[in-house]
Amino acid sequence: MIARKAFILRRPFSSFGIVVVLIVAGLIWNWRVQLQVFPSIISAYTAKEYCSCRFVMNNPAEYCRSYVKQWLPSTINEDALNKRVTATGLGRESTAQWEGPRQGCRLSSPVP
Amino acid sequence: MSRLLFAFLLLLIICSAAAETWPAPDWSERPIGRNEAVTALETYAFPPRDEVERKGVRTDALLIIHDGEVVYERYGGVTRADTSHLTWSISKSILASVLGVALGEGRFKLEDPVSRFYPPFSAHPDIKLQDLLHWASGLDWQEDYEYAPLNSSVVAMLYTRGRGDMARFTAEHGVASAPGTSYRYSSGDSTVLAAALKGMVGERSYADYPWTALFDPLGITSATWERDAIGTFVGSSYAYMTARDLARIGLLMARGGRWQDRQLLPKAWVDFNLTPFKSLTPTPIDEAPGGHWWLNKTADGKPGPWPDAPPDTFAALGHWGQALYVIPSAGLVIVRYADDRDGSYDHNQLLKLALNAVAGEGGK
Repeated sequence: MIARKAFILRRPFSSFGIVVVLIVAGLIWNWRVQLQVFPSIISAYTAKEYCSCRFVMNNPAEYCRSYVKQWLPSTINEDALNKRVTATGLGRESTAQWEGPRQGCRLSSPVP
Repeated sequence: MSRLLFAFLLLLIICSAAAETWPAPDWSERPIGRNEAVTALETYAFPPRDEVERKGVRTDALLIIHDGEVVYERYGGVTRADTSHLTWSISKSILASVLGVALGEGRFKLEDPVSRFYPPFSAHPDIKLQDLLHWASGLDWQEDYEYAPLNSSVVAMLYTRGRGDMARFTAEHGVASAPGTSYRYSSGDSTVLAAALKGMVGERSYADYPWTALFDPLGITSATWERDAIGTFVGSSYAYMTARDLARIGLLMARGGRWQDRQLLPKAWVDFNLTPFKSLTPTPIDEAPGGHWWLNKTADGKPGPWPDAPPDTFAALGHWGQALYVIPSAGLVIVRYADDRDGSYDHNQLLKLALNAVAGEGGK
């Protein structure tokens, strides 16, 4: 107890730094699942909603590009013949496929 | 004499039944003339559309049905009369109407535990179907879209961890409060209802059930309902149809669940839909939940969220300004599709202006 107190007194800034690192590590551990899948949100959202905008709602491609636009950059690759949409964002890629007039679009596997 | 009276009454009933207009097969039209009230409605609903910043009111469709006929219809942006528009959370109330048909077929009771039809809910044996319908499962769900993406249960359900099996993802949530006691808006609760429907009607009938039960009898031909990776309907979010087809569900509800001479939804079911839920925890001031529909009255008798609309007004509401409003006392069904990306659109304002526009026609 006395020794630790002495360390804090001797190295106040290092001690503070260690506490901050421990808190950040704890937060990352606590949110590890959410953080791991978080980057796929942009590409998954973009692929799925663009696919539905184009092939369920039958809107023009130019309109659908602005419809799915987010505050983070993404790319869209539309395969109009097969009604398949691949999108990238935050270094991840997602694909959505139109499956029929009643079924609409669905994100393809794998699930993150 | 009594026979004469009976014949007279019978004639009266036949006449009143004949006077009721239905969209069978198509909606008939009786457009309201141009007047100041209509101009005021259009000024509010269709301002110059901001396609760059996406700010302000951005109406895609506005359709007003009065006494079973189209009296006003206008589209904005790229949306047209034949566009199957995304309804977002209006899907929840559409799902409720599908479930109403299943209830009429005796497939479940409101007090049944969810686990009877959806086994993964054996982890939550005390949650009943009526609790899901009140968004009161008590599960620890986070319903945020754009503002808290890391913590949002609904974003994870639709786009990342949950999308393989959305109902199971919901079932894996912890408990925040006792089932049936506290309102907590949850797309997860609605998704579990869509999974429970599979247990009610069986795997074989499930994929077509919304069509055979509800859409076909109503003459809805434009519907799409997207599914998760294991084939469960995304009951919370992903139903699509034209404005004219969605209005059919509004007319069904406006007329107490009856479609022409068929009581498609049991009267008791519609009463359940339209009874305010009494939550032990405070409900946000702009939300008055019933049984998977939104009401304009509350359980404690306080006025509802739309002061300029009659208290019997109810609605199905969705993200980005989607709305299906029903005002039985005024004979009105209003569909509004939109792409509002900020919070500037106001339900009360639209209802007030639409009521004025229709009343103006009555010779006011």
